Amino acid sequence: MASFSPPLSSTLPTSLNRVHFSRRNWLCFLQKRNQSLFLAKSIENGAGNVNSIATEEKRESSPVAVAEKKEEGAKKAESLGLNGTVSTSVKAEVPSFKDERWVGGTWDLKQFQKGGKTDWDAVIDAEVRRRKWLQDNPEASSNNEPVVFDTSIIPWWQWIKRFHLPEAELLNGRAAMIGFFMAYFVDSLTGAGLVDQMGNFFCKTLLFVAVVGVLFVRKNEDIENIKKLIEESTFYDKQWQATWQDENSSDKN
Amino acid sequence: MASITSPFLIPSKTKTKTCYSRHRHLTITASSRPLRAAVIGGGPAGASAAISLANANITTFLFERNPAGSKPCGGAIPLCMMEEFSLPPSLIDRHVSKFLLLSPSNLPSLFSRHLSAESHYIPMLRREVLDSFLRERAKEKGAVVVPGLVTGIKVPGSDKEPYVIRYTSEGSIQTIEADVIVGADGANSRVAREIGAGEYATAIAFQERIRLPPSAMSYYTDLAEMYLGSDVSPDFYAWVFPKCDHVAVGTGTVSSKTSIKSLQASLHARAGSKLAGGTVIRVEAHPIPEHPRPRRVVGRVALVGDAAGYVTKCSGEGIYFAAKSGRLCGEAIGRLWREEGKVTEAGLKREYLKKWDDEYLGMFRFLDILHKVFYMDDAGKEALTEMCADAYVQKRTFECYLNKKMTVGPPWEEMKLAWRTVGSMMRNRLLGKEVEKLRKLEGSYPSII
Repeated sequence: MASFSPPLSSTLPTSLNRVHFSRRNWLCFLQKRNQSLFLAKSIENGAGNVNSIATEEKRESSPVAVAEKKEEGAKKAESLGLNGTVSTSVKAEVPSFKDERWVGGTWDLKQFQKGGKTDWDAVIDAEVRRRKWLQDNPEASSNNEPVVFDTSIIPWWQWIKRFHLPEAELLNGRAAMIGFFMAYFVDSLTGAGLVDQMGNFFCKTLLFVAVVGVLFVRKNEDIENIKKLIEESTFYDKQWQATWQDENSSDKN
Repeated sequence: MASITSPFLIPSKTKTKTCYSRHRHLTITASSRPLRAAVIGGGPAGASAAISLANANITTFLFERNPAGSKPCGGAIPLCMMEEFSLPPSLIDRHVSKFLLLSPSNLPSLFSRHLSAESHYIPMLRREVLDSFLRERAKEKGAVVVPGLVTGIKVPGSDKEPYVIRYTSEGSIQTIEADVIVGADGANSRVAREIGAGEYATAIAFQERIRLPPSAMSYYTDLAEMYLGSDVSPDFYAWVFPKCDHVAVGTGTVSSKTSIKSLQASLHARAGSKLAGGTVIRVEAHPIPEHPRPRRVVGRVALVGDAAGYVTKCSGEGIYFAAKSGRLCGEAIGRLWREEGKVTEAGLKREYLKKWDDEYLGMFRFLDILHKVFYMDDAGKEALTEMCADAYVQKRTFECYLNKKMTVGPPWEEMKLAWRTVGSMMRNRLLGKEVEKLRKLEGSYPSII
């Protein structure tokens, strides 16, 4: 598979803004902290004994055990059909995602018409709301009403129009401003006008560096992100090569 | 740090370099004796190592502390393993030919919609059945299976001395000497601790075995499910795998080990009515290594399988790599003994580790990249699910998974795949960013489940 650098550099800010336990994800990932809190039981049980791993044998003969687990996150509990014995616990009634335009597991595009054409912006907004809802209230998957909507239904030009173009405008503006002032600056230093500057190899290199720089380093945070990305992408490899590192260093001794 | 290059020298007439001809035999003088190898741990890794060692006429002792035990494990093996290890079809409980992937927004993606069930399926079996079959084979080849728990290993001071293994068997403490040790004792490896192999980060896999009523079980006859989403696992996936007469429902995580019970509850909520009426018959958990230990070969001790850390990212697969590494290590020891007359740390690294890394490092790296790209946030998981609906992706994934060969398809198709992947990732990332923007606007954050 090809490399994915453009999308990757933007994951880190979003994940860091998430629920605070996911911030711990990154820290834990980068530090090798051993968090096996569950598996403290040691293996020294003597020959032939099982259960060194945290196994519990639960001989439950009623569905209550499974049902109680469901209470913590029960959504469409009434439709689950195991209610005979569950009346004792309180069911948290969390409503499922409802929107009149969400029909049969997908967005009904006929309801998004504006001026005879589909208003894709509104479709994107509706999907964003649905995903936000689902993050807060995860729903049970169901075979009766499977989700059919996938993002490729929205045409490519809509994505470009809404997301790419504004940012492209911003970056082009910045690049133009930087370019103008650099051209003026170099002209005042060397006396070479714009045409002479463009003929020079060194200037062309600088121009290239400037364009690439603006593409990848859009905010100050991006420099940190790129460093972290490089560190992370080589991390796994370093763990595998650890054996050979030792060998090299011992040879030098 | 153990950098004992400890050649275990036997008086031999010739010292040869790595072999060129199978027919060249070292003359062994009468005072020397056959090599003694101890394989600690009798799972797929240990049993395969014992089989290879016994095939090379090495005196092999296979230690297994719980021969009858069943292990908390998915129990899925790749198709190529059936052939490579000559496993009889009677070991298989069921053929899983349909695999349903569910994204965080519950978009389903049915793997093998485009593939034929006869040649593309995942054999599911019970670990106790597979493990005891392989141990029986090791016994037939001449290994001695010792039911006992190894409690300590005394590392020798010099190359002439053997390792002394202390173990308890039938209530009594006994010792045995061995020249070479293969550590195949799993994720909490005692051998690794004794030789100072270093630590690794682990994920925890937690699963419940649930017996479903027949109507619900029929849905899972040849279908396994994989749930993606930060509600069921922030950095891994949750699964419902059918076993012989029940389903294994579980989830795993590296970073949120303390919330594992709530992740499991969310999995029940996500699976919804498909698990209705089920009774939990067993609850189990186990650590899964995330990457290899820093030192997999120390002295004349080599680690294989989970003890070495050979579990892939992304899919968490370990049985095949355990068996393969056990076999490779056993064969390496056999080759070193036959051709060089001695087993050394350098020899083990050259014949076993280097060959292993050359063969499988690429695959492990690739799965790590997939894991990093697709598993770290909901947008990636959505993109993965969308991509998996594609026929080309399904074909290639099955080829790589079932045959364990990293092949590169025709370049034009690969480029189209890359293009589609990037497109899907970008769309889902953009939607994810919009969700964040909306959140900031509305000032609400998801509650911790």
